[in-house]
Amino acid sequence: MPADMAEQVTFMDYGLHRVPSKLTWAVQDAIDAVEHPSLIVLGYGLCGNGLKGINARQHTLLIPRTDDCIAILLGSYKKYIQEFDTTPGTYYLTKGWLEAGSNPLQEYEEIKEKYGEKDATWIMDQQYQHYERLVFVTHNQEDLEAYRPQAQEVAEYCQRWGYRYEEVLGSDIYVRRLIEVAMAIDKTDSDFVVIPPNGEVTQDLFMR
Amino acid sequence: MSEIYEKLSTAILEGDADKTPKLVNRGLKQGLTPKEVLDNGLIVGMDEVGVRFKRGDMFVPEVLMSADAMAAGMLILRPLLVESGAELLGKIVMGTVKGDLHDIGKNLVSMMCEGAGFEIVNLGFNVEPDVFINAIKEHQPAIVGMSAMLTTTMRAMGHTIKAIEEAGLRDTVKVFVGGAPVDKEFADTIGADGYGSNAPGGAELAKQLVGAA
Ligand code: B12
Repeated sequence: MPADMAEQVTFMDYGLHRVPSKLTWAVQDAIDAVEHPSLIVLGYGLCGNGLKGINARQHTLLIPRTDDCIAILLGSYKKYIQEFDTTPGTYYLTKGWLEAGSNPLQEYEEIKEKYGEKDATWIMDQQYQHYERLVFVTHNQEDLEAYRPQAQEVAEYCQRWGYRYEEVLGSDIYVRRLIEVAMAIDKTDSDFVVIPPNGEVTQDLFMR
Repeated sequence: MSEIYEKLSTAILEGDADKTPKLVNRGLKQGLTPKEVLDNGLIVGMDEVGVRFKRGDMFVPEVLMSADAMAAGMLILRPLLVESGAELLGKIVMGTVKGDLHDIGKNLVSMMCEGAGFEIVNLGFNVEPDVFINAIKEHQPAIVGMSAMLTTTMRAMGHTIKAIEEAGLRDTVKVFVGGAPVDKEFADTIGADGYGSNAPGGAELAKQLVGAA
């Protein structure tokens, strides 16, 4: 990413994902806070309709045309759909989620504090017992190696439901294309959604 | 009277699976009918659970515990409701579509529909179109309910409706759909008969679909 672009990045709280409607307001607020008409890149997919209803105001929005960030990590929408077809019972781990503490192990620790061990175990089982595979996906080899110990800790915990652990080396091609298109918007293609000024994000723009 | 109702709905809201059955029994002992206990106690509590979750005031663990408390109450009420000859509105075949393993919302809707007087055939999650079709043949339900929580999998709802059509069964059932990413517009596009945004709404809709509301 060029330096002048990197300077203008706003990071949003990951926890917003748990309540997609809050994500909508938070992203809208962030857009409204940009003073001059700009090209705003949203590093989100549709995210459970978390972006639905967002208005571009005086800006132009550029958004990866994916359901969520897993397709972005895998490198393409097609790859994600293939994974869904072959093993729907997959729970994904990413570097971002490991850092944000959004993974089954961390979740267990958190709810154990709140509800005690017995209820926490029950809550976890209710949610996760039907999955069969834990996949740690990264853009590159370095991240894979750097975060492997953490991922493996989660994998160990998930043994309680018999998950098998796999590592997938995704691709950063989607992110690189996003930056390319951000620098020259006419290079956009069917992998991106562009919302013109005053336009609104709708679900059907993401359906394919 | 209203005191026991309030205690019941509070027990559901608090997800207290020990207290709920006790309160159900107390209500019955006081002379309330199973239907009154259900409608004015359990269901009122579950309605509020849905509202609070949508607002972000309640999270998945609490929703799960509330559902569990509700299930504990239903365990007592179900046989009594059948016995009391409460009218059966028909069967609903319910499942989360292919590729999707989210089942909390679908289970809640199932429970509320059961409370409304339907018999539920729960097909679980990651349900292939063929499995829906076989279940329609086997159980001859009045309604088929589908849930999807991922925009990635909501397309499978359309595929399933097509498959039901191709199997020549579309005219034998009503189809209703729901799940967080689904809306009325999408439901119309794929040719569903109805869309419900929450569990109580789903139960109300199911009644309408069989002409009982
Ligand atoms: C809990 C949860 C999970 C649990 C599921 C536990 C379980 N056993 O179901 C776990 C942690 C396992 C999970 C896994 C995943 N999840 Co998830 N999950 C959620 C979460 C936080 C809540 C869903 C929920 O249970 N809500 C509670 C119930 C009560 O509400 P509900 O389901 O909406 O149902 C109500 C209504 O919709 C309606 N309704 C539902 N069905 C029906 C059917 C009919 C007929 C009717 C009338 C009504 C109706 O009535 C219900 C009751 O009021 C949502 C975010 C959110 N807040 O929605 C993400 C979310 C759905 N998950 C998401 C993702 C990405 C995933 C994973 C891919 C993540 C991963 N790391 O791998 C996997 C999916 C794997 C798979 N193949 O299914 C995304 C979806 C993005 C997308 N692609 O569309 C979401 C939106 C989070 C986000 N913003 O990123 N998840």
